[in-house]
Amino acid sequence: MKRMQTEILVIGGGATGTGVAWDAALRGFRTVLVEKRDLTHGTTGRYHGLLHSGARYVLKDAASAVECISENRILRRTHTHCIEDTSGFFVVAPEDEDDYPDRFAAACRRLDVPCTEIPPGAALRREPLLNPRISRVFELPDAAADSFLATHATAQGARQAGATLLPYHELTRLHLSGGDGNRAVSAATVLDTVSGRELRIDADLVINAAGAWSGWVAALAGVEVKMILGKGVMLATNARLTNTVINRCKMPGDGDILVPIHTVSVIGTTDVQVADPENLSIEQWEVDLMLTEGDKLVPGLSRSRILRAWAGVRPLYQETQPAGEPAPAAGDPRSNGLPAQDSPQYSRDATRALALLNHRQRDGLRGLITITGGKWTTFRLMAESAVDAACGQLGVSRPCRTAHTPVPGVEQGHYWLGHRLNEVEEENLQSELICECELVTRSMLEGAAQRNPTVTLDDLRRDVRLGMGPCQGGFCTYRAVGILHSLRAGKALPAAAEWNVAHMQSPAHHHRDDTGPAPADDSRRRSAAVDPRASVSQPNLLLRDFLQERWKGVAPILWGQQLRQERLDELIYLSILNADHLPVDDEESPLSSFFRSDSSPSTSNL
Amino acid sequence: MAGVLDLLVIGAGLTGLFAAYTAARAGLRVRVVARGAGSTHWHAGTIDLLGYLPNGQDAVANWAQALPELPPAHPYRLLGVDAIAQALDQFQRLVAAAGLPYVRAGGGMAFTASSPPEDRNLQENDPAEQFDDPRLGQNGALISPVGAARPVYLAPAAQQAGNLEDDRPLLIAGLDGMPDFYPALIAENLQRQGRLARSASLPLDQLTERRDRSPLHLARLLDRPAAQALLTEMVVNAAAPGERVGLPAVLGLNDHARLLEKIDRALAARDPDTAQTPDRRGACAAVFEIPTLPPSLPGLRLDTALRARLDRLGVRVEIGMEVCGFHATGRRIHWIETETGSRPLRHTARNYLLATGGILGGGIHGDRCGHVKETVFDLPLTAPQTRAQWLRPLFLDKRGHPVFRAGVSVDHRFLPLDRSGAPVYDNLWAAGAVLAHTDPIRERSREGIAISTGCAAANAVVRGQQL
Repeated sequence: MKRMQTEILVIGGGATGTGVAWDAALRGFRTVLVEKRDLTHGTTGRYHGLLHSGARYVLKDAASAVECISENRILRRTHTHCIEDTSGFFVVAPEDEDDYPDRFAAACRRLDVPCTEIPPGAALRREPLLNPRISRVFELPDAAADSFLATHATAQGARQAGATLLPYHELTRLHLSGGDGNRAVSAATVLDTVSGRELRIDADLVINAAGAWSGWVAALAGVEVKMILGKGVMLATNARLTNTVINRCKMPGDGDILVPIHTVSVIGTTDVQVADPENLSIEQWEVDLMLTEGDKLVPGLSRSRILRAWAGVRPLYQETQPAGEPAPAAGDPRSNGLPAQDSPQYSRDATRALALLNHRQRDGLRGLITITGGKWTTFRLMAESAVDAACGQLGVSRPCRTAHTPVPGVEQGHYWLGHRLNEVEEENLQSELICECELVTRSMLEGAAQRNPTVTLDDLRRDVRLGMGPCQGGFCTYRAVGILHSLRAGKALPAAAEWNVAHMQSPAHHHRDDTGPAPADDSRRRSAAVDPRASVSQPNLLLRDFLQERWKGVAPILWGQQLRQERLDELIYLSILNADHLPVDDEESPLSSFFRSDSSPSTSNL
Repeated sequence: MAGVLDLLVIGAGLTGLFAAYTAARAGLRVRVVARGAGSTHWHAGTIDLLGYLPNGQDAVANWAQALPELPPAHPYRLLGVDAIAQALDQFQRLVAAAGLPYVRAGGGMAFTASSPPEDRNLQENDPAEQFDDPRLGQNGALISPVGAARPVYLAPAAQQAGNLEDDRPLLIAGLDGMPDFYPALIAENLQRQGRLARSASLPLDQLTERRDRSPLHLARLLDRPAAQALLTEMVVNAAAPGERVGLPAVLGLNDHARLLEKIDRALAARDPDTAQTPDRRGACAAVFEIPTLPPSLPGLRLDTALRARLDRLGVRVEIGMEVCGFHATGRRIHWIETETGSRPLRHTARNYLLATGGILGGGIHGDRCGHVKETVFDLPLTAPQTRAQWLRPLFLDKRGHPVFRAGVSVDHRFLPLDRSGAPVYDNLWAAGAVLAHTDPIRERSREGIAISTGCAAANAVVRGQQL
């Protein structure tokens, strides 16, 4: 078995884990991160993209609200290009209670969350599709965040500071040393899920940042961390309905957030406690609830074309658990479709504040820290707390630097919607487009595939938004497979030029003379590129996996024009390509079964 | 009533156009109205009869022999082999006369791209002789743009030399920078299936300075003699003796047959020894087209050919007319209304043929509540009861998704039926993908259903008019 040695080993490649690696590397620790799939494959890649102002929690969860507004201000500096400065409205709909808005405004003042009440007419002029019956509107510094790009940018910041990030490396064992009273985690065994080889990593300290999977990681060390897993379902519309984040001004509930993100609007979410973060079903009542509630924000939302539905799972944690709500009464739509053996519980009441578990104090186990709870908005603060605790355990004092260290790409300024189209038109790149829906060019795809392992096309989707538009992969799946096949069959790559992660979002990047800042030292450049010959899956498998992955997310919302679109995709992949009769033998990628099992149970009883 | 139409066809896809042709040739006054141009130009331009049975893993070798395995209500079972074969024969005569010959994809190589259509003897063929043909119903296997074997019955002559029954080695030649064609991927998949295949990429810089590599742009370019000469030279340089060459189906919008012939001749002139002479007509085709993603040039050519023949028969095809209403009393439709630019337009005819397609064509619509509707006359449909029954968990499930089998049930005359099994109207007929009990995309029976049911419905109308 191969071995490596490090000071800090981070488990989990979501926003938090990547943030921990970035923070630890900036403080000079030798750092390795392992993630069982692709970076952002878990909850980070499955949320609505809201950078909270904290206002949502001012009356319910003040600790979380304070964390959010403080981090909101910091991330606008450190991750500028990952954020669209949309601003946010909290609107009072006719259904909402009367005294909440005043209590809300007072709480915002108390907690230093900037809140301005504006006349409903002014809000409607800015957002004409908003419900004209709203009675009050508050404006707050909410924003839209690209969690894929932000995590990649953080990861690049971590790599530049010397960290090693290992996606597709699954933790299989934590090694304990010492006897009673002196137990410590000293090493981990991870499985490279692409090559099938094992690797042992000796570490002074392990930071468990596995989000919804944290309880499982802790169990490998013999300690109990009981997570509350709150599933949230979201829907994306085929166009932006508003350019401002819209929240209902009421106690947080289901379907009361509408976030404009890139070319779509996302309505979310539900909140249902689940047992298993791997199998998240999307029930019809959840889709219907999102549409019904969405109509209260933007009348007619339920008749707009829905592109996709997906579910993420919040990793919530409370040392003392809240009592579950009573089981829903008969006739409550929520009682449908829930597994009969589980007593239904809703995790709306669990705190969103971060949770740092120092297992030395909590369980008498050295060498392990769990950082969980929290929000995407507070990932940097979570990382800071975890690495502060790590310094304590390791007996060193090194100040956190992340709040004042921008990640690569911030010089671009805030994201704006016309960014890609502008580049395509300025550089005349229409003919280079591989995905017309999301304006992805061939060079963006090739660049992403050369910098990140491509086990499935879904990995590239997260990198460049491939297949995220109205046709949901109808045209670009085939093209991407063809391009990756050429890369796989091609020559070894020359030493990669310095690559700014923001280039993954830039159609024009390869068509400009200045390709960014001067190269860093050689070892870092090498680590920035992967050899697609080894890391790109067999093309027919890429095709089959991605078709199934897309299907999983469209099946819950297929009706009307999107059903027709799917029939065109069938025409292409069955009738023209005959892709269901390609030689794939019995090959499976590490994600093939995941794409199959994640589909909606409402369709699985056939 | 001299000016009254005998048949108004709603829908301008392959079903509607071929039905209009069949009725007009029989002497009926026919018109076609449609919302859009039909989905013919999305498809590969081949005539797929039945590639896979429901639940079937292996391709159907002979569709005529496989018909008994289809469900009893399947449109093919209403027709029988002879009626289908007759319709296909009519179709072949039509496209041959239009200069776009279609040939059997499987079996021998009697027809090649380089032999002119008038040589083909199709016009004088005795249909009865064809039906004794031992190869009747035998599917061929053509190469898909990802290198899989497509089960096809009739192919445009331009695609036929790609038949995988032929064991000549293959060169798959792409055009540099074209986003919709990946020759190396096709060749690798052909190799994995035991074929001798390799790939090449031809430089486009010499052909055009434009960066546009879309199929339509390339096809227009390759209609020009200078571009044809350049491409011919490039293919000859790339191909080894004895190889046949597969190119993306962009070899011309109006003149692809001439370009294929040029390349064939140039290859034969270079390698006179290896050029094969398998039949009475001399050189065998050595070059063929492989269809691409929509928009499809073979589909566009087919659409153009059909419309040209209809034009000669005096049949108007009106696009941009969506039906917005109709008037009926009892079991008789009196008129329909279409949306036009200024005002609704009323159309009166003795008979109406619904050829609006399925969910893809827009003839059937499924809404969020799980209601599946026929979009023009709101005819009763055979469809899953609830939305939970529409789809299966796996996209590529061999059985297909139940919602895509939703459609109109018809009797043997192709009159739509109500729940009691009686015709809804006495002068409304239905054909093509709007029919129930078939999933033409999953079965690879799209064009077969279109041609055979369109022809049968039109013939039923003709018989009714003669009474």
